[in-house]
Parts: sequence; C-alpha cells; structure tokens
Amino acid sequence: MSRELIPPGLVYLAGNIASKQNIIGASKEQGARWAKDLNLPKRAETIFFAGCGYQFSGQLETLMSLLRQMDQSVIGAELPLRFANFQKRLGVDLAGIYRKLLARDTEGEAGPLRAAVTVLQKLGIKFGYLAEEEPCCGAPLYQAGLHREFAANARQAYRKMKALGVKRLIGIVPYCTHALKKLFPLYVDGFDIEVRHFLELVIENLPTRKLRFPREAKVTYHDPCQLVRYLGLVEEPRRVLGSIENIELVEPDWTKREWATCCGGGGGFETVFPLLSQILAVNRAKELMETGAEIIVTHCPGCVLQLENGLKELKAKNIEVMDLAQVIAMSLEE
Amino acid sequence: MSEFKEYKKEIMDAARDEQLRLALSRAIKSFRGNINDALRKFPHTIGLADEVRGIKEKAIGDMERLAQQASEAIEANMGKAYIARTNEEALSIIAKLVGKGKLIVKGKSLTGEEIGLREHLEGHGNEVYETDLGEFIIQQLGSRPMHILSPSIHVPREDVARLFTKVMGREFPPDTEIATLVAAARDFLRDKFFRADIGLSGANTVAAETGTLFLIENEGNIRLATGAPPVHIALVGMEKLVETFSDACKVSEVTWRYANYTVPSYVSLVSGPSKTGDIEKTTTYGAHGPRELHVIFLDGGRTELAKNPVLRQALYCLRCGGCLYECPVFAVTAGHFGDKYFTGIGAVWAAMMDKDMEKAAALAYTCLTCGRCQERCPVKIDVPRMVVELRRMIAEGK
Repeated sequence: MSRELIPPGLVYLAGNIASKQNIIGASKEQGARWAKDLNLPKRAETIFFAGCGYQFSGQLETLMSLLRQMDQSVIGAELPLRFANFQKRLGVDLAGIYRKLLARDTEGEAGPLRAAVTVLQKLGIKFGYLAEEEPCCGAPLYQAGLHREFAANARQAYRKMKALGVKRLIGIVPYCTHALKKLFPLYVDGFDIEVRHFLELVIENLPTRKLRFPREAKVTYHDPCQLVRYLGLVEEPRRVLGSIENIELVEPDWTKREWATCCGGGGGFETVFPLLSQILAVNRAKELMETGAEIIVTHCPGCVLQLENGLKELKAKNIEVMDLAQVIAMSLEE
Repeated sequence: MSEFKEYKKEIMDAARDEQLRLALSRAIKSFRGNINDALRKFPHTIGLADEVRGIKEKAIGDMERLAQQASEAIEANMGKAYIARTNEEALSIIAKLVGKGKLIVKGKSLTGEEIGLREHLEGHGNEVYETDLGEFIIQQLGSRPMHILSPSIHVPREDVARLFTKVMGREFPPDTEIATLVAAARDFLRDKFFRADIGLSGANTVAAETGTLFLIENEGNIRLATGAPPVHIALVGMEKLVETFSDACKVSEVTWRYANYTVPSYVSLVSGPSKTGDIEKTTTYGAHGPRELHVIFLDGGRTELAKNPVLRQALYCLRCGGCLYECPVFAVTAGHFGDKYFTGIGAVWAAMMDKDMEKAAALAYTCLTCGRCQERCPVKIDVPRMVVELRRMIAEGK
C-alpha cells in the first residue's frame, strides 16, 4: 500500500491545507476578506467558523472548470495535478498563479457567509470571527485517508482556538461542522469546544412572527449529505422554510430528506472525477427541477457549486440555486 | 496509475452510455416502487432487520466454530462438508469432486464468481451452463455481471434477441417478445438440467445447528440445478453461517424483502442428499434428488477480515443488492464501479479478499461517501466509514 495510490486531486487539496491552512492554497487574509467591513470581534467565547467552501467558492468554481477541461483532454486531470503537486514541492505554485489570473474578485462571493452573520445578529446571538486566525478543520485530509495529518492538524487547530479563548463554535459548512463536531473529539484528547450548526441556533431563536420572503416563490430543498446523513439535520431546514411566508416548499417524491441524492461533489470526489461529478450534478439538478420549483435551496458551498453547474449544463431557465442562509436573511429584512 | 487511468476511462465510457443509463433508471424506479410496497405490506421487516444485524454481528465473530458445527451437521445428514482456507483450496476440492468431461448446471453464486469457479471447471474440460437467466446471458455474451441480483441489468432485450439467435441457431428478430426469449432459454436449458452430471449452487444463508442451506430464488433454476443432477455441490462463504435454523429464517426473510420482494417464488432448504426408506425401511440415497451433497465452506480471507474492527462490517452483508440502487455513481456506471463486488463495499472486498490494493484504491476513491447506501442497508453497514478506513490503510500502509 502506498501514498502513490491517493488520487493527485486529493493530494493537491491536502498540500494546500498543510502549507496555507485552506483547501485552495490562498492566503489567510484573502480568505477573511469577506468579513472585513462587518466589524466582528476577533476575540469571543462563541466563534463563527466560516470554513473554506463559501470563502473560496469563486476560486473553487474556477479550479473545477479547469479540472473538467483537463479531464476532457487526452491527458486527463491526473498528470497536470501531479505536476502541480511537484511544482509546489519546489516552491513554485503554478496552479496558484493560473488560479489568480482566472480568479474573480472574491468579495461578492461569500454571500451565504455574510447572510449567516446577518441572521445570527438579527436573532440576537453574540459571537466573534477569528478571521485570518481561523484554523482549517482539515476535513479533506480525513476524506483522503491522511489520518495522521488530520489528527496533527486537529490538535494544532484545537490548541490555537483554546489559546484564543474559544469555547463554542458555530459551524456553517457541513464538512467543517461535521469534522469539528464528530471527528475532532475522536482525535483530540479532552476536546471541550461545543460545536453547533448555524441551523440549530436559527431554530432555537426563530422569532415568533412569520418571516417573509420578498416575493412568492416555489422552492425545493436539496439536503447536503453531511447535513442530513452525518449531522442528522432533517427537520431543521424544513421548519425554517416552513416558517417563511411567500415560500411554498415542493419536494421530490422520493429523493428527499435522508434519501436525497448526492450532488456529486463529495469529499474531494470532484477533483478526482471532475466529469463524472458533473454528470451526477446534472442528474441531481434534473430530479430537483422535476418538482417545478423556481429556486433550489440548499445549505452547503459544494452543493451550491455543483447544482449551479448542473443547471448551467442543462441550460435550465427560470430556476436558480440559493443558499438557505441567504433565503433566511432576505426573509428577515422585512 | 495506468490501471487507474484505464478504470477511469471504463467508468466514464459507462457514464456516457445512454442505453445503460436508461436501463438503470428504469431498474431503480421499479426497485423503489417494489421495495416500498414490500415494506408497507410487511412492516415488521424493519424490526426484523435490526435483529438480523445482531445475529450477523454474533455469527461473524464465531465463523470458525459455526463452520465446524455446520460441517458436523451436514456429515450427520450423510452429506460431505469441507472447510477451504483459500480460493485455490476450494477450487481444487471442487475440481477433484467434478473430474473431467462433465456436464454441469450452475446456479448464480457470487462466491463462485469470487474464486472464478466456472472458468476453472471449464479449464478442466467440463461444460458448464449458468442457469439463472441473467447470468446465462452474461455467460453467453462473455461479459461480466453488472449487478449482484440482476447481472444483465445493462443488456436491453434487442441485444438478448441477437445473442440468442447466435447461441440457439434460430432467428430471434430484435422485436421478439420478452416472454419468447424467456421460453427459448427455458427450452435450451431444460435438457441440460436433466442430462447434467453435477449441479452447482451457493447459498444465501446456512443454519449451522442443522447444516441447512437456504437458497432463495424466483426462476426455479436453482431447484432444478440442485434437484435434478445426481450430485449437488455447494460453495458457501463462511460469512453466510448463522447459528440456528430460526436465525437463518430471519436472515432469509430480510434478504428477500430488501431485495424488493414481498416473498420469492421459491426458497429451497437443503440439509443432506436425497434418500428414501420406503422399501423395508432401508435407507437408500439418491431417490429423486441427488445422491451426493458436498458443501464447501470458504474462508478465503473472511476470518482475517472479521478481526478488523471497522471493515468486518463488510461480512454482515446479506447480498440483497438494495444499496446498489441507491448509489448515485452506480446509477450511471452499473458494475463498472466495482470488481467482483460492487461500489464502496466492493472496495473492501477487493482489498481484503483479492489483496488488489490498486483496484481497491480506485474503487475507494470513487465512493462519494454520501451514505445513502447505509440508509437502505437492512443491517446498516457503514460503508462511508469503511471506505474512509480503507483510504487510511492505503495512505498510511496499514
């Protein structure tokens, strides 16, 4: 058995976590930029854990489109990814340079994060944000099988958060939340930080008055695998959507709740099988479109990217993907 | 890496095959309808499945003793029992029992597939016929099974008509009715059943205390293959053993229910060779059924796998095939996402039984770890957890 058998796409993500503490290999400052005008305290007992997915959704989209193009060529995606890994070892991040050329301005893209912060604040919850000091949860290391690295990263992240006085975490990215809540206690002795998901707090603090979405809309909900099957958040998103005026929830007959079909972007799968991942995204988008919904609501940065790509491939009109955090934020405005 | 590249090409070709996609989407739709009906009609199945999980947990920790117990019971019933440690040993026992130049009719057996039984016997100059219709089609096509219960899930009827034209030497136009194709296979195989020297089968589960093999089927081919020829040889993986007759009944019911049947047409229970005492109360073997029964219990890495605290769950599998219909990757690739066994759990078998780490890695990293298979699984096998553990073994070298 050997590390050579780990697909290079996963090695690439793992390498970025090791060197830069995020999956994309960007600087921590770049990652934290979305929150710079929000004035969130950097020290607090309760901390909002932003994670990589939403922060870097623009870059991830670019990376995925690049990987799909490579995967379509005769060379395939493996060789260039191996090359990128090799270059990084030499201290040259060619893929990073290319990425920066293609990357759009990231500020507008962390919408769900800004929305989640607004929602929590409106619900009267006090919290801070570690910004560039936020450690990486390392979930892709665990998924890739690099458990020694995952354990080392988890211990380091725990020590750092403890040193910063963190007692409670509010997670939002499903992968991060699962890693922090369920995996950290298995790998970090005496792990004593309470981890809860954004939705759990929303449910507890939901105002008694009905929320109101700005327009009438038929929406369907796509359960992210990690939220529904790993964290068991089945009722919460539905209760939230059910408490919003103007929203009619229409769901697939079968592929909903714990039976929801994966969007095809699971745990780095999309970097190993970029084109297959896209086929699965298209399939899931089709299932959701059959409900007749005009908005696909989901609650995971990976699912958002996948489903948007699926709709694009289908050239679907009059239907869009929105993150649940954004839907709630919009419904709290009125 | 070249093996991975080849594998990736294979699954991408499958994923782009529109006909395969259509066949699979129809199969999935019908499976879901059927299983929902079956569970609605017999709602106790869900509780029974929990109980079966407990039965399997206990049995897998005790395979060695159960194999001994079952062997003694079978011998007491005047059958012969063997415990084969390796695939080679199992093949050699069966080859010796069979000899050369024999006509053999065979029921579908995943364990047989696992050790390459048919090919081995053919290599020894025997004529072997698969008698399960799907498996017969696969054998004649020279292809490999694409689903554990519906091996020819990917073959549309037009292709079957073309194949039968070739095999049976008479014309079947592409629009031949399915019933006509089924009847043709029946006619073709009927003669083989009654001329065969040996019938081969597997077993869905085995009750150790009585040495009883439970064989679940719908076509009736297993009844004929294990009933008509003078010798019946059964190859059974040791993970199929449970302690009591009543345990085996529970395992059987849960297996067929989660395989989407309210009840199968046939369940055969075989505990020994055919016998009669009707003339002067003198027991004589080989009345209407086989005069010889040979049961080979295969270890082939199972007792080793049972020691792994995470991966041992793979041995709880009842082979109902339900999980395959829930796998989003399987829905576009069928058995191409697999080896001898399919999908994420197939990765565990490739690693632990075949010791093929390259294949196992390819499969392990094809699993989405989405976990819908576990939702379906009657014994709640945590495939994502097993796959991640396997990846750890791949990355860390144990």
